[in-house]
Amino acid sequence: MHQLDDTDRDLVNLIQSDFPITPEPFQAIGDQVGLTASEVIRRLDTLKKNGFIRRIGGNFVPEKLGFVSTLCAAKVPQDKIELFADTVNEYPGVTHNYLRENEYNVWFTFIAPSMVEIQDNLLSISERTGVRDILNLPATKVFKIRAEFTLS
Amino acid sequence: MLTELEEKIVASIQEDMPIVHRPYLVLARQIGVTEAQYLETLQSLCDRGVIRRFGVTIRHQKSGFGANAMTAWIVDEDRIETVGEIMASFVEVSHCYRRNPTGSWPYNLYTMIHGTDEADCIETAGKMSEKADVRTYQLLFSRRELKKTSMKYYPDAI
Repeated sequence: MHQLDDTDRDLVNLIQSDFPITPEPFQAIGDQVGLTASEVIRRLDTLKKNGFIRRIGGNFVPEKLGFVSTLCAAKVPQDKIELFADTVNEYPGVTHNYLRENEYNVWFTFIAPSMVEIQDNLLSISERTGVRDILNLPATKVFKIRAEFTLS
Repeated sequence: MLTELEEKIVASIQEDMPIVHRPYLVLARQIGVTEAQYLETLQSLCDRGVIRRFGVTIRHQKSGFGANAMTAWIVDEDRIETVGEIMASFVEVSHCYRRNPTGSWPYNLYTMIHGTDEADCIETAGKMSEKADVRTYQLLFSRRELKKTSMKYYPDAI
């Protein structure tokens, strides 16, 4: 894998949040770290191509867009995991889905316009897969959300 | 809730911005507005907290944060505020939420712990347990990623 140098790290740390909202954002970033806009673009392009950067864009608060979100957990027998995962993953509102080491072994997040719609979808998933035990665990209080990682 | 223009801007900025000198000009043209209108509305969505974070998203696996553990805790409800704040104060914790317990799953506080490897996550959970004085918890390590994507809001807006 391509090794990051100090300049790459400075760049990424600078723009994990507060990416400039100005006509020439890469120029603005370059001014802060002492690079030309073209050099910033070249470095970010490379970090993107080698998979270090997933994307550059917005991350939203679903509730402020009129959506609701929840975490679901299901107890899925070993021989039904593929069927269950395929069925759940069909829904565009399921954004993250992980197999975890627990009796509740499939954990997924679900975003939709309403909780009623999510409940209906969970019922339908149960009917289609025969998996009855699915927990719906919406957050009642958020203490922290941070998706930034300081690189050192 | 959002104006038609705001929905278009959300739809245009929820995937991947082009890495070019004038990215907003490219995006603005896609939805038929001026660059200035685009920037003004995008800034307003950030200022109002509709956009929680605007910038680069990295892949953890490639950044030295190789392991993460969703950790579920059973916390006395009368201590949940204090415990939630203590848990959230750990730099290794990216997410911390309270959720309602259920009959078959009595856990009511959830933290996402990041570390270099699983042992590192276990050690952090131990420190959290100690500091918050919460003794009943489980680390749920992920064994396989079944899906990871970002939500596509307003797919028909643009």
